[in-house]
Parts: sequence; structure tokens; C-alpha cells
Amino acid sequence: MKRLNRYLIIWWKLTLGTTQIAFQSRFGAVLFLLGKLLRYVFFLLFLVLLVNRAKVIAGYTFWEIVLFYATFNFLDTLPQFFFRNVYRFRQQILNGYFDNLLLKPLPSLFHPLFGGSDMLDLFVLILSAGFIIFAGWHSDHVTVLRVLLYILLLMNGFIISLGFHIFVLGTGILSTAVDNTVMLYRDLTQMGRLPIEVYQEPLRGLITFVIPVGIMMTYPGRALLGLLSWQGVVIALVFGVGLLFISLRFWSYALRHYTSASN
Amino acid sequence: MKLYLQVAKNTWDEMMSYRFNFAMWRLRNVLQLLTVYYLWLAVTPQNGHIFGYSRSLILTYVLGASLIGSIVFSTRTQEMGDNINNGELSQFLIRPFGYLGYWFARDIGDKLFNVSFALAELTIIYFILRPSIFLQPNIFAVLLTIGAICIAVVMNFFLGSLLGMIAFWSPEVWAPRFIFFTLVSFFAGGLFPLDILPVPMQRVFAFLPFGYLQYFPLQIYLGKLSSNGLIQGFCIALVWCLLLYFLVTWVWRKGLRVYSSEGN
Repeated sequence: MKRLNRYLIIWWKLTLGTTQIAFQSRFGAVLFLLGKLLRYVFFLLFLVLLVNRAKVIAGYTFWEIVLFYATFNFLDTLPQFFFRNVYRFRQQILNGYFDNLLLKPLPSLFHPLFGGSDMLDLFVLILSAGFIIFAGWHSDHVTVLRVLLYILLLMNGFIISLGFHIFVLGTGILSTAVDNTVMLYRDLTQMGRLPIEVYQEPLRGLITFVIPVGIMMTYPGRALLGLLSWQGVVIALVFGVGLLFISLRFWSYALRHYTSASN
Repeated sequence: MKLYLQVAKNTWDEMMSYRFNFAMWRLRNVLQLLTVYYLWLAVTPQNGHIFGYSRSLILTYVLGASLIGSIVFSTRTQEMGDNINNGELSQFLIRPFGYLGYWFARDIGDKLFNVSFALAELTIIYFILRPSIFLQPNIFAVLLTIGAICIAVVMNFFLGSLLGMIAFWSPEVWAPRFIFFTLVSFFAGGLFPLDILPVPMQRVFAFLPFGYLQYFPLQIYLGKLSSNGLIQGFCIALVWCLLLYFLVTWVWRKGLRVYSSEGN
């Protein structure tokens, strides 16, 4: 517990630092925030237009589609909020700063993952949480048990994302290719903006099990609507824990093969 | 002219030397295309219409938007802002060619590279997914589509240059570009045809430049515009082009007056 508190304090200080940097140009920060909110609202507007005309998309009603969209945004933004430093990791490898980080009395993954959160993402998180609650409110299928399952699968989605980010960091150590890998991950997860039933086979199978966008983004929503079997829940949880375990092993492997680019 | 051709060729060679990065970038484009493609496939009835589009028309629109997007939006103007901010512009000012011409030539090199890959990707996607697509039989409409794409290319170059030239007054060049990109990704018509928007919004967008970057050429190709619509569209697009040209040259002159660099 004491150690966790210590980590929390360090994370908070690092986050304060990155926030100060982000707000050095207030104009830029406001524009970035505005851009994120516009992107959110515009796609929602597009969904409104689409469902108004089509009535249902892949068997889902408007509020159900909104639930999936808001869940996607929440799970897309939460890792960005916490793991923002992954986007800076390549530079830290190239300029040798990572050597310095390895000397600190912290777990080797702490700084690459949690080295400063992006406070601008908080607004999108709050907006998404609002839409999730509102969309859930409009559904007749929601029960307490399903809400608990939803939260559990949301956490599982976050763990899968954590696993992915650790993979990206490990790849960064072995090849310095971070930027494209993390953006590829972002684009793959973008497919989860809509329920996976929208996609046809074999793409649907691919983004459910091979690249677990479906498990991450769609399973929580399906559980809340009572459309997910208990086997589905178990598979999702096993997948999440398994992926985290493998990614941690990969990180250890990458770290053993790290050759410093120190200056 | 020979000089600018060489710049375009150099850009091509430069991209060849970062093949992995480029392949990843193209893969990301394919993923974005597939998301939009399957969404429209899911909402369009097999033999029915949605928003006045049959399945073959809307899928042609989606695939066409991807190709036109590759032509119009591949640009190097984002480097212009960094160029001004880090003082590299000084080196260009003493070289025997125009700064804007140099970046336009780089844009062309970038576009040729992107388009060759986009064509290959679309061919593969076509043979895998086998969508029913609409082939425009009227050669005149195809030529007009190409003309509209050329105007869009020039317009996007001017818009990108203006965003880059913000660097004369502010080091913050990425945030305005992010806002611009967000607006363009929705209102150029890459995600959906703009005629699905409510009529008052359509009227407003008819006078803004965004729709002329992607939506307008596709409407011509799909044969959705009347003669009046065509004339009005070309007139507005050309007026925007001229306005942007004058604005870019004016901003460039004003920017050079405030520009300063040191140490290089």
C-alpha cells in the first residue's frame, strides 16, 4: 500500500509536469481540446443521421449504437490518458534518456507507461462516461449484474490495452519503431467504434480474436445489453490476463536485449 | 521546370528510403477504408437505397473517396511550419527557385507515391471483396472529375501552405492543423456523402471549400449533378482557388517581413 502511494505521488508529479508543458501554449491546448471534442461530436452526428434513416445498424437501435460508440471512446481515451508517455518513448530511446530511467528505483515499465498523463483527455473521458450512463438509461435490458459485468469487461479492455502498449514499448526497444506501431494499434481499435456485427467474416473473426478489438470494445456493451454468454465473459477475461502475461514476458525479453544508445 | 521535376523525384526517392514507415501508413489507410466500407455495407439494403444511393453507388463513393483522398490529401506542407520555426527557411530564400513551387513539387512527388500504392490497395480490396461498383460510361463526366480533382489538389496545397505559414507568427503550428484535419475528415465527404446532411447545412457547405476537396469530384463521377450544379460547383471551387492563391501570396509577403532566424 505504501509503495502504491509512492507510485501515485510520482505519477501525479510527472502528470503535473506534462500538463504544465501542454499548457505552455494555452492557445494550442484549447485548439487540441476543441479538435478532440469536435471529432467526437461530428461522428456522433453522423451516427444520428445514419440511424435516423436506417433505423437499426446490424440489429442495434440508436441508443445501443451510442452505447458502443461511447464505450469505444472511453476505452480509447483511458489508455491515452494514462499511457501518453508511450508516444514519447522512441525519443527517449534515441537520445539515451531511457538509460537514465533504468537507474531510478522504479519498475522499468513505470516511466515508459506512466511518465505523465494528458489532462486534455479527461474531458473526452467525462463526456464518454456521460453518454454511457445516458445510453444505458435508455435501455430496457440493463440490470445490476449486467452493469457489474460491464465494468469488469471495461477493466478487462483496459488490461488488453495495457498489454498492447507494453508490446509497443518492447518493440520500441528492439527496433525503435514506436510511432507507427502505436498508431497502427489506434487505427485497429478504431474499428471498435461500431459493434463488430457490422463487419463481415473473415474480418469479424480477425478483429474479435486475432486482434481483440471486439473483446476490448464491443464485449462490455454486449454484456450490458445481455447479449454476451458467460463463455464469452470467461474467454474475454482469459484473453486479457493471458495477453498481459505474454506482454510482460516480451518486455523482459526486450529489456535483456536492450543496447544503450546513450550519450 | 526541370528543377521542380527533380524535387518531385527526390521526394519519391526519399519516401522509398522509409519504406517500412510508408507501408505502415498505407496499412492504416486500408483499415480506415474498411471501417467505412463495412459500415455503409451494413446500412444499405441489398436492392434498396439509402439517402438516394443504391448499394453500388455508395460503395463506389466509399472506394472513390479513398482514392481521391490519397490524391488530394497527401501533402508535405506540414513540414513548411517546422521549416519556418527552425530557421531552415533562410537557406531556401537564397536558392534559385520559388519556395511555394518547391513545396508544390514535393507535394506532387508525395502524391504520385501515395496514389500508386492506393491504386494497388484498391485493386486488391476489389478482388477480395468483389463489391458491385458503378463505372461511369460518360467520358466527359470522367474528364470533368479529373478536372475537379486537379482543382482540389491546388486548393488543398494552398490551405496546407496557409496553415504552415502560421509559423511566421506562432510556434504553434500543429494544433491549427489538427482542427483543420478534423473538419476536413468529416466535411470533405470522405466518411459520408455531404448530401445526407440536413438541407440548411448542405447550403452552408456548398459555399465552404471542404466539399470541393473530395465530395464534389465524386458527385460528378457518379453523375449526381445537373448542368447547373456542375457550373455552380466549378465556379465556387475556382473562386476559392483564386482567393486562396491571393491569400497565400499576401500572407507569404507579410510573413517574410516578420521572419527572422539566427545561428544557421
